[in-house]
Amino acid sequence: MHEPRIVCFLCTWCTSAGADLAGTSRLQYTPSGVNIRFMCSSRVDPEHVLWAFREGADGVLIGGCHPGDCHYQDGNYRTHARVALLHRLLDDFGIDRERLRLEWISAAEGTKFARVMNEFTEELRSLGPIKLAAREMAE
Amino acid sequence: MAKVAYYPGCALKDRSSHLDRSARDAAVRLGFELDELETWTCCGAVPPVSEERVMNLIASSRILKSVRDSGRDTLVTICDFCYNTLKRVNYRIRNDEVARRRVNSYLAEEAPQRDYIEKDDSPWNDYLGEVRVLHLMEYLRDVVGYDGIAKGVVRSFKGVRIAPYYGCVMLRPHKEIQLDNPENPSIIEGFVEALGAEVVRYPYRTECCGSYLSVSSPDTSTRLCYRILTSAQQHGAQAMVMSCPLCFHNLDTRQKAISEAYPDFRPIPVFYFSQLLSLALGVGVEDQGFEKHYVDVTPVLEMIRDGSGRVDTE
Amino acid sequence: MKRIGVFVCHCGINIADTVDVKRVAEEASRMPGVVFARDYIYMCSDPGQALVRETISQEKLDGVIIAACSPSLHESTFRAAAQEVGLNPWQVEIANIREQCSWVHTDRKKATDKAIRIVSTMVEKTLLNESLSPIPVRITKRALVIGGGIAGIQAALDIADSGHEVILVEKDSSIGGHMAQLSETFPTLDCSQCILTPKMVAAGKHRNIRLMTYSEVEEVSGYVGNFNVRIRRKAPFVDWSVCTGCGLCMEKCPAKVPSEFDRGLSTHGAIYVPFPQAVPNKPVIDRDSCIYFRTGKCRLCEKVCEIGAIRFEQEDEIIEEEVGAIVAAPGYDTLPVTELKEYGSGEVPDVIDGLAFERLLSASGPTGGEVRRPSDGKVPKEVVFVQCAGSRDPERYKPYCSKICCMYTTKHALLYKHRVHDGQPYIFYIDIRTGGKGYEEFYHRAEQEEGIIYLRGKVAKIFQDGDKTVVWGTDTLSGRNVEIEADLVVLATAVVSRDSTGELVKKLRIQTGPNGFLSEAHPKLRPVESINSGFFIAGAAQGPKDIPETVAQASGAACKVISLFSRDHLEQDPAIAWVDEELCGGCRICVSVCPYDAREFDEERGIATVNEALCEGCGSCVAACACGATQQRNLSDSQIRRMVTASLGGE
Repeated sequence: MHEPRIVCFLCTWCTSAGADLAGTSRLQYTPSGVNIRFMCSSRVDPEHVLWAFREGADGVLIGGCHPGDCHYQDGNYRTHARVALLHRLLDDFGIDRERLRLEWISAAEGTKFARVMNEFTEELRSLGPIKLAAREMAE
Repeated sequence: MAKVAYYPGCALKDRSSHLDRSARDAAVRLGFELDELETWTCCGAVPPVSEERVMNLIASSRILKSVRDSGRDTLVTICDFCYNTLKRVNYRIRNDEVARRRVNSYLAEEAPQRDYIEKDDSPWNDYLGEVRVLHLMEYLRDVVGYDGIAKGVVRSFKGVRIAPYYGCVMLRPHKEIQLDNPENPSIIEGFVEALGAEVVRYPYRTECCGSYLSVSSPDTSTRLCYRILTSAQQHGAQAMVMSCPLCFHNLDTRQKAISEAYPDFRPIPVFYFSQLLSLALGVGVEDQGFEKHYVDVTPVLEMIRDGSGRVDTE
Repeated sequence: MKRIGVFVCHCGINIADTVDVKRVAEEASRMPGVVFARDYIYMCSDPGQALVRETISQEKLDGVIIAACSPSLHESTFRAAAQEVGLNPWQVEIANIREQCSWVHTDRKKATDKAIRIVSTMVEKTLLNESLSPIPVRITKRALVIGGGIAGIQAALDIADSGHEVILVEKDSSIGGHMAQLSETFPTLDCSQCILTPKMVAAGKHRNIRLMTYSEVEEVSGYVGNFNVRIRRKAPFVDWSVCTGCGLCMEKCPAKVPSEFDRGLSTHGAIYVPFPQAVPNKPVIDRDSCIYFRTGKCRLCEKVCEIGAIRFEQEDEIIEEEVGAIVAAPGYDTLPVTELKEYGSGEVPDVIDGLAFERLLSASGPTGGEVRRPSDGKVPKEVVFVQCAGSRDPERYKPYCSKICCMYTTKHALLYKHRVHDGQPYIFYIDIRTGGKGYEEFYHRAEQEEGIIYLRGKVAKIFQDGDKTVVWGTDTLSGRNVEIEADLVVLATAVVSRDSTGELVKKLRIQTGPNGFLSEAHPKLRPVESINSGFFIAGAAQGPKDIPETVAQASGAACKVISLFSRDHLEQDPAIAWVDEELCGGCRICVSVCPYDAREFDEERGIATVNEALCEGCGSCVAACACGATQQRNLSDSQIRRMVTASLGGE
């Protein structure tokens, strides 16, 4: 079976802290992703996402603070807008939208982080590998 | 003469037809015609807004749609219940997408029989809540203006102390009706002042008259009406005015039961707002249907003056 | 290429049980730039840190990865250790293989693979890390405190006592705020004026406090440590430097103005001090009600003033100051009774709010402390207190609990009972909330010993009927409707944010929450700081609170200011945005996305720049930059690309 690989861009204040909480709570989830910690989810450039797909990622997770809770006032709203546009671009590339996932996960939501990782992995498994043509196009 | 689409409703067509007549007469004297819809059905009264069933919204929606389809944007009513129902259904149609879609699909289904109802062969168009529903009281305030009324007044109510009564459905629920402040309204007061009469302020003006309880629990309604009427009297009222046929019925005819239950009670004449308006504008006393009232209104009529002195009350 | 050392921690069995740490170290040694890799049982222990230090020196490392627990725990530990032996702290990175790997996985092989990729990701980052140093920012050790209520007074005194200058700005002519209006305070019933006045005097006399009453902040620019403030000093039309506060002018003034301080229950002249204990005790002329200003005739105050302190020609003054920190304590208002239509819209004379009742109870109030109702001055025999008037009513008024009303209403009823022994107080309540030291005991005393009748339910309507004020309510415990013909009704109106707070936050560029109260940086752990550096908050402007809480918060805010001022300069995290001037096209998108106004456009050079003191390093502008001219230090786009590749196991 295809084992998906996920790149996770997490903001340090909420989602990365939530991922830490999943750890301290010893919640178990699939080891399909590696976390890359940013100060804010708004640091994610759409190019980073496309690069991840080019480099073989089956999915990209962006994790930020809940609306209204952004440490930097409104960074997560910018992320939200960018992801919406990026989803359209992914359509053009022939990459399923579902492969880019934006989640608001607070520092208190360790369980949500674990759940999202499991769900996302399962979803990517059922989607199968990215079609090569799409990957080349992303390049 | 400007025509305004007018929905009389059941009460004003039957038991209270004299109130309908006084409203039409008054409108003409103010320079517009209450143009009754050619065909109309019952608004559905309370059920459309008291139950969560889309089916119930259809009667009102059908009426509102026919107004829109005839190229008019405003519908005037003079009954608080019709006003409440039409306005709230309209609100629902505007704001609840599911209800809007379902109602329109029902209306579309009955379209083949539409000729009978609307005599209209324009293409089908969903009703989206385009029509503005106005109470005649609201039309007087916002379109005619209180100054406009005052200009047309030919009979003087000077010194007549009148207590406005609001009841329940004219103002609530505020979010949907948006007519006036439900806790501290002023629309009827403004109207009474425009007629030149003296406004009586009393605490019970927005309390319930018992509404339909007059059927199932008449004693309750009697007690409630007693409190309202005596409060108004204690504050100096010589007459009551309101804009709801049911309140009108309760507060007038229930005075018989009140007098039996409360020996200290003194009757007080009750008027519909359209009666006072048409009287002030010069319509004949004989055209008001006062003979249908339980309480004799003569004491109030005797206080009204016109250019030649006392109004003929015979 | 850099010389990187990788240290893999066992964390006892916490990591080593799930992750094959030896294999991680072995794989790491083959990663680009890595010249040293080993595992160790407890990296954070003293010997573990010593190992890091020694290796840095011996192997001449210029980059270090510690594969261990979350960076939130020990990043600073290892960065400090590295700095001891001369390695720049920004060359030390943490690979989190505990919270985000060993603790959340069970499959040893998969967890080990993931740990290797995590380490590889951080190696790629470190290869391109620059050596940075914190950005020093100079600091003006003078504080601005906005608001002269008890919060502002306390904060100003604490900061001033530490030896720093304070400018205390108050919009009214006297400091004191709402606390000066109160009669006695719950639950101890000590007199509010008696405990407040000494503090007011101390603030007025303190050599480090510059009191600027009758003044408002106009504009604030700059950043933490270096704010420029413009303050408008409204013209009092009295030369305060010569006025002796004798009060003759106030006695003779023929104008009658409802007293705001007495909640309209008394009047004063157009020239007035709000209350006798005012600090400073100098009068102002209310231009809108002064007969001379309105008609051009009178000037009676001028005639009676023996020293000639009246200055009708005086104009507002703008004063500019530099400060390093700002404490915002603008206070609260209560929901006006006029808003509560079902309670008479403020038209029923004997329906008053809690603050008005405080004035009726106060010995220095309009009735000299006798409870007399406003309509006819009679002593009320039945008094209804209505709690949650506008609070806990999300549909019509305020959704939140105003917090202080349960206690002050109980106090009101109790004090009323002490003044009018044969009187009967009733309290309508939804819940009685008595969270506070001695509060529950106070409530019990009122309920059980003082004969106060508590009715659990809401009041539907209040109206005047003759000389009675009728209250219709419901008692939900007995399930009955209640009708009380009261002599006086006191509404515990909702504590609300002031309209002027909304204007103030725009000037300060700090935030408010959905109900207009000032937002704290963190609801639990940073309650007295604003999210914007250099701004601190105190008092009921942040949310309804009682006096002890307000004072604690004010002292907390002062402490934060003092701690800020204890340094010679401020250090900013240098991992912020910077601009490659060659690449910048001057599109200004970055300027529009920056939440801190840190991105500025240099008109002369046609490029966007970064104000290093304002940049918080979120990276939003970096992602928004269309031509890659803006980059984040130690998190550049090329670093991120290499990290992504490494995280996927690629080269």
